[in-house]
Amino acid sequence: MLQVKNLYKSYETTKTRYPVLKGISFQVEPGEFVAVMGSSGSGKSTLLNCISCYIPYEKGNILLGEQDLGVLDKEGLAKVRNEKLGFVFQDFMLLDGLSVKENILIPRIIRESADQQAQDYADHLMELFGIIHVRDKYPAEISGGERQRTAVARSLINDPLLILADEPTGNLDSKSSRAVIEAFEKAKAEMNSTILMVTHDSFSASFCDRVILLRDGVIYKQLDRIGSQSSFQGYLLDTIKEMSEAESERDIR
Amino acid sequence: MTMKELEKKLRRQDYHQAKLYLFCNFISLMLITAYSIMMMAPTVLEVLPEGGDSRKQMVAIFVLAAVGCVAFTVYATALFFRKKSRQVGILMALGASKRQLAPMLYREVLVLGFASSVCGMAAGFPFVVLIWNGFRLLIVDSKEMVLNIRMECLGIPFVFLVLVMVLACVTAKRYLKRTDILDTIQEEHKNEPIKELGKWCGPAGIVILLAGAVIAYYAPEVYMKLTYSYGGAWLNLLYIPVFIGLYMMLLHTVVYGWHFKKRVSYKNLVSRSMMKFQGKQTVNNLLVSTVLLAGACFAVFYVPSMASGNFLNVRNRTYDYLYDYRADQKVPGREETENLAAEYGVSLKDWHEVPYISLGMDGMAYKEDGNKFYYEYEELETEGNFFSEEDFRELTGLSVTVEPGTYLAVSDNGDSIYSRQLTTDSTLFTNMVTEKTLEVRFADYVCCDFLAGGTGYYILNDADYKKIAEGITGEWSGRMTIFNADGKDDYRFAERLFHTLVSSFDKSCEIPYYYDRVQKISDNKKGDTYWGDMDMAGVNFEEPDSSAFRTLWRYMPKFRIMDKNDFICTYGVFLMVFIFIFLICITAACVICYTRCQTIAVNNRYVFDDLKKLGAPPAFLKQEIKRQCCTVIRTPAIIGILMMTLLYMMIMYGNDGKITVSEILALGICGVVILLIILLLYAVYCLTVKALAKELEIEG
Repeated sequence: MLQVKNLYKSYETTKTRYPVLKGISFQVEPGEFVAVMGSSGSGKSTLLNCISCYIPYEKGNILLGEQDLGVLDKEGLAKVRNEKLGFVFQDFMLLDGLSVKENILIPRIIRESADQQAQDYADHLMELFGIIHVRDKYPAEISGGERQRTAVARSLINDPLLILADEPTGNLDSKSSRAVIEAFEKAKAEMNSTILMVTHDSFSASFCDRVILLRDGVIYKQLDRIGSQSSFQGYLLDTIKEMSEAESERDIR
Repeated sequence: MTMKELEKKLRRQDYHQAKLYLFCNFISLMLITAYSIMMMAPTVLEVLPEGGDSRKQMVAIFVLAAVGCVAFTVYATALFFRKKSRQVGILMALGASKRQLAPMLYREVLVLGFASSVCGMAAGFPFVVLIWNGFRLLIVDSKEMVLNIRMECLGIPFVFLVLVMVLACVTAKRYLKRTDILDTIQEEHKNEPIKELGKWCGPAGIVILLAGAVIAYYAPEVYMKLTYSYGGAWLNLLYIPVFIGLYMMLLHTVVYGWHFKKRVSYKNLVSRSMMKFQGKQTVNNLLVSTVLLAGACFAVFYVPSMASGNFLNVRNRTYDYLYDYRADQKVPGREETENLAAEYGVSLKDWHEVPYISLGMDGMAYKEDGNKFYYEYEELETEGNFFSEEDFRELTGLSVTVEPGTYLAVSDNGDSIYSRQLTTDSTLFTNMVTEKTLEVRFADYVCCDFLAGGTGYYILNDADYKKIAEGITGEWSGRMTIFNADGKDDYRFAERLFHTLVSSFDKSCEIPYYYDRVQKISDNKKGDTYWGDMDMAGVNFEEPDSSAFRTLWRYMPKFRIMDKNDFICTYGVFLMVFIFIFLICITAACVICYTRCQTIAVNNRYVFDDLKKLGAPPAFLKQEIKRQCCTVIRTPAIIGILMMTLLYMMIMYGNDGKITVSEILALGICGVVILLIILLLYAVYCLTVKALAKELEIEG
């Protein structure tokens, strides 16, 4: 579904060049729920922004299905963002002037296919994620959890190949976070959605099939979920601790 | 739902966000239109002669106001797009292409820009009518103060409207061109820190500003003295250091502030950092509002300086009535005048009437050759009016002695500016009828306030007078009459006498005070056309009550009661124009300050939210708002007002090398005006603080 091959990206100031991604390669299979974790500055958000086609990258390939994103022009990238990708952001990114249902329909409106079928599908998604009762309300009138579930429903409206979620529970309390993760699980279970989620939260990541740990722009480890969610969270925490200690030792050296 | 329906729905929300943008466009177009209507009104064009100082000042301040309006339109556009950028960014992130977004964005800004601009243009008409008629109703109304609107005046606002639209489209295009979607989404929270120059920039700015102002002010005079030519408009470029100095001062104010006491490290920390990180636009805004406030002060100071001079001049006159006329005119005599006065219950006393003669004086005539000028000796250079010693004594009661072959020039006690206008280098006088000449030299000045100014009076030795006056006709001689009212005077008598006098002059006397008959004869002899014959606008016997007639007519009588009562009427158009300019500039400055405070608040909303989360009480937050607003409003007010006060003092001193009593009075009145301006700005400050507290949801 998604193949990232030898990806390089750096940021430049007037004097210095800061490499952020240093040859990252991995792939995500259809229907897989993958989390990317790492400390601040490890490059996880940059990785997501490259896959989202928000920022250009210097070297490597990103293949979404059969499509190489690196060869597309601006129009082509916009089309990919609209039709093949779904987005969930930390601060929801809902349009304040539109109702919950209208927000969910935006990708279809952009695609010029917000027909009755799309509206029925939006209703179905709202039903699925428990936000049907706020369908006509505006973002300012609903809770954070409801807003994020609205964003999840929006990300699914075009049946994308891949959902990209950037810290989707970062601004939420634990109850709302749980509701959002459940929404992802439902999307995976009922629609066979493929999800790539960047997160700091080991609890949210423990619901994923696989966790990619990034350190200093390279993949430190990939952990497959074995056993229950809680045991996977324990395993995750141990590995993160191990990675942090290795980082500290290196910093001391 | 289609893209068009989505656009319609979002636009409804945008109208709320675009309030400030709409307001700024509306205000700027309204001010520009109103100013253009006023500036191009036939009444104003007639009263403020082309090439005159007043016209130049009116145009210069218009340019400043227009620059100010452009500035706040630019900022309002940028602010609107900042608010809009999140929406555009989200749509881009969700896959909307530029092809889809472009028509939506252009349509919106064009509709908003056009609607607000056209409404502003339309509002300019009632605005100017309201001010003009308000002035007529509350302050003064004269026959000539008719507002005629010429449609040509819409040219400037139309250009401005096009500018607003182009600006909106360019900004929209810039946003669409952006490649970094995340940057677009986060635009609202982006900072624009200013490059710091160091703490020296403030004091250096003051020095540059003051030095620049003095150099630029005196440069044309120095240039003329050195090169005998006019420098032209390029000399105005010397004012650039003034703006550079001003910019440096404002930069210092925004980045460091001015601390005369030992600095308390954490005081103003939050507000200063907020302002510093929005520094670029803040300094630009402060610069524009300072210049506009300076323009407003310049315009409004004009009124007291004019009024105080006139007030003292009228009050200090020795006689209630003074007029002169050519001897060949059939002007009412003493008996007729006394009879006329009796009709109004006025009796006259201290009647003095003496003859004078008008002679040709030789001297160095001022000549122009393109941009250059030079002085050339001419036997018939200018016209002068001469009393004999005896007649002067009879008229003024002053005993003067004039040696044979010399002459005295009549000046005033205080305002030696008149002395410089008198001819003191003449050595040869000519009787313009007989062409007989008399060799003379200048001896001294003699002080007599009521004869100072105007065409200039001189005194000759009695024997010389008699010799040169021989054979002179009524066309080149005249009579000076002065008298007082015995007891209470009556305005109706003064007005009647004035109109009677005007109607007794023939067309050959329908000339302004600067019309020099001697120079005309001299030019005509050489086959040249006298410049006064080419440009003689203003004096018309049909309109004796017009300000042009009363300020320019060569034989305009000085009647104390009439001059006192009619001052505002005579100078009504002048006063109105300058008060109008003041209103335009102060409105523009207030709108800029308000907009800037709004911008700072909008851009720093998250800072206030964070401070709230950190437990900052409403009183603390409100204090931070107050500090922001205080800097934005107080700084231009202090600098603008101070700059103009200094400039006025410099002009006053530059006129005659001293500050006269009337100028001190004018400065006193300006002080009161400054107080009123400060009160107005304080009201704007209070309103702004209240609006921002509401916007940022700060209670208490």
